Amino acid sequence: MPMTAMGAIEGSALGQAMRQWLWLYPTVEIVHLCGIALLVGSIAVLDLRLLGFSRSLSARKLAAHALPWTLGSFVLILPSGLAMFVAHAGDLIASPVFALKMGLIMAAGINAAVFHAGIFRGAAQWDVEVMPPTAARAAAALSLLLWISVIACGRLLAYV
Amino acid sequence: MHRRTILAAMALLPAGAIAHHGWSEYDSSKLLALSGKIIETGYEHPHGFIRLELPGKVWLCILAPPSRMENRGLAKDQLKPGVTVTVEGYANRGKPEEMRAERITVGGKTVELR
Repeated sequence: MPMTAMGAIEGSALGQAMRQWLWLYPTVEIVHLCGIALLVGSIAVLDLRLLGFSRSLSARKLAAHALPWTLGSFVLILPSGLAMFVAHAGDLIASPVFALKMGLIMAAGINAAVFHAGIFRGAAQWDVEVMPPTAARAAAALSLLLWISVIACGRLLAYV
Repeated sequence: MHRRTILAAMALLPAGAIAHHGWSEYDSSKLLALSGKIIETGYEHPHGFIRLELPGKVWLCILAPPSRMENRGLAKDQLKPGVTVTVEGYANRGKPEEMRAERITVGGKTVELR
C-alpha cells in the first residue's frame, strides 16, 4: 500500500514533468543548491562567531542579520526538495540515506530551537569581546556537524 | 609539494564535473559492446535508460540526462521500443544485468553520452 501511494506521487503531473521536461530537473537542482548555500552559509557565520571567532562582532546583531536569511532559505529549499522527492518518491522512501537526512534535519532544527529559546536568551552577558559559554559553543559545533552531515547525505543519495 | 598536489587535484576536476558524479560502481577496465532491440525506454531525469534485449538476457543500459542527449542530437523518438541499437559501455560490478553506456549507435549515427 505505501509503495502504491509512492507510485501515485511519482505518476503525478509534477513527477512526470520533473522526469521528462528537459530543463526542469537541473533547474530545480540549482534552486535547491542555492538554498543550501544560503542556509548553511548563514548558519555557519553565526556558528563560527558562537565558537569564539571574531568576538569584536556583536553576537546578537550577527544573529539578527543572519537568522532571517536562514529562515528565508527554506523558500528555495522546500519546494525544490519536494519536487525532487515527487520525481522519485518510491526510491527515496526506501532509501536509508534519505531517512537519515530527514532525521538529521530534524535534529538540527531542534538543536537550533533549544539554543535560541535557551542559552541565547542570556547573550547580552557575552555579546561582544567575551568567549561564549560552553553550552553555546557546544550548540554551535553540533549545528555545524549536523548540517555538514545533511549535505553529505544529500549528495550520497546519488551513490548508495 | 603541497602546491603540486593541489594542482594535480585541480587538473582532475573537469573530468569529474563532466561525469556528473563518480561512476566507480561500473567496471571501466572492460568495454562491452551490446547490440539488440529496445524493449523499454525512459527518456528521463536524472539519467535516461533503455532495456535492451539480447539472446538470453535483457540489459538495463543507463544513458545520459535527457537534456544532454537532446543537445547531442539524440531525440526521444529515436529510442522507441522495437528499434535496434548498439551501446558501448561498462557493466555494473554489483548488478550483472546493468551497464552504463558511454555511447549509443542508432540508425547509423553514434552519440557520445559522457
